Amino acid sequence: MLDLLVRYRKYSTLALVVCAGLALLIRPYDRAGDAQWLSEALASLTAPVQLGLARVHRGAVGLWSEYLDWKHLRTELARLRAETAALRLRQVRQEELETENARLRTLARLRERLPEGSLGAEVMAREWNGFTRGLTIDRGRADGIERLAPVLVTGGVVGRVAGLRQRSAVVQVLTDPASSIGGLVVRTRAQGLVEGVAGGRLRLKLAASEDGLRLGDLVVTSGIGELFPKGLPLGRVIRTYPPTGLFRTAELDPAVDLSAVEEVLVLPRGTNTDLAAAFPEP
Amino acid sequence: MRFPLYVLAVSGGALVQCTVVPMVGIGGVVPDVPIVLVVLLALRYGAEAGCVTGFALGLAQDALAGGPLGLHALSRALIGFAVGDLPRWILVARPVVPVALAIVATVGDGLVRFALLQLFHYPAPLGELLARVIVPQAGYNGVLAAVALVWPAVRPVPRA
Repeated sequence: MLDLLVRYRKYSTLALVVCAGLALLIRPYDRAGDAQWLSEALASLTAPVQLGLARVHRGAVGLWSEYLDWKHLRTELARLRAETAALRLRQVRQEELETENARLRTLARLRERLPEGSLGAEVMAREWNGFTRGLTIDRGRADGIERLAPVLVTGGVVGRVAGLRQRSAVVQVLTDPASSIGGLVVRTRAQGLVEGVAGGRLRLKLAASEDGLRLGDLVVTSGIGELFPKGLPLGRVIRTYPPTGLFRTAELDPAVDLSAVEEVLVLPRGTNTDLAAAFPEP
Repeated sequence: MRFPLYVLAVSGGALVQCTVVPMVGIGGVVPDVPIVLVVLLALRYGAEAGCVTGFALGLAQDALAGGPLGLHALSRALIGFAVGDLPRWILVARPVVPVALAIVATVGDGLVRFALLQLFHYPAPLGELLARVIVPQAGYNGVLAAVALVWPAVRPVPRA
């Protein structure tokens, strides 16, 4: 018998196991408690391990969720940083727009006081080397602009149109060394020439016989020559020089910060009205 | 040398199944680690080892889970024996075979258990059980077996 069992060990094992399993399964229900000792023994042996595993699992899950939180926070941080950068950019643009809006509003108010036909233009480019000083604006022949038309902003004169193209124009600014405009000292009514000086300054040339100049004297266009209407601010005296020969000279601070001009008004050529009222002295 | 491995498989498999595995369910479907272990051990060490390991693992599961004692033990013993006997007829060294067997064994184990549970007038219909539990679990077990096969120690070896 034993030989038989050993010879067919595989099947003997199967039969034994199946019998044991069936016996466990089909034992009478009221005797089920008899086998409870197995469950209890196993449970008492495995309970600490189960507890340990559960804790390890909880720890792992906690660690994982912390990692996920951290990862989420990193993503969130990157998103917030990008959002902050975008907001800053938007704020800068907003401020720029507000500034531009304010400038344009001032320019529009000035335009209301100027003769009909004044044209607003935007500065597209600057020629700002020491020899020549000019601005390129986005209005040209097609917009009805004429050569030598006065160009100004709310602060005063910018220059005159020196070159015309179909859709743009080059403005020779006051401080260009080749620029020369008839000027009038408001306080003394003395007339002279306001010339550009290399380096971005203005020089007022008066006859030596004229009354003396004072620092801060406002100089406006005289209207002589009919290129510029009378009364447009040119600059203020910041330095005077003793008379030499037939002339006395003074250095002027331009009424307009020419390097910061972004929008201008182009007047129709031949405007003869006195525009002093349009530029109230501060 | 095999005995510690069996002990580890039996104790570890049963413990992992009732502690960690419930947490890694996907859409309510959890894998059956013990059946995958039984399949892999049976393929590698034969029908007898598969039968005994399956019985012990099933018994431990029954004891730990609190179900009818002998239910898992019997079904797993039968599955372990059947799978362990297969290398006599088919080539098991190819990785696709253990994976396919893990799937088939899960379905077989489910059917055996369902049949045994009829002793206790188990109420759920087989179709529902197959569709919602057994077949999805078989798929999960196939994936698990494929992953386990990365570890050379559990790969089946051809036997003469």
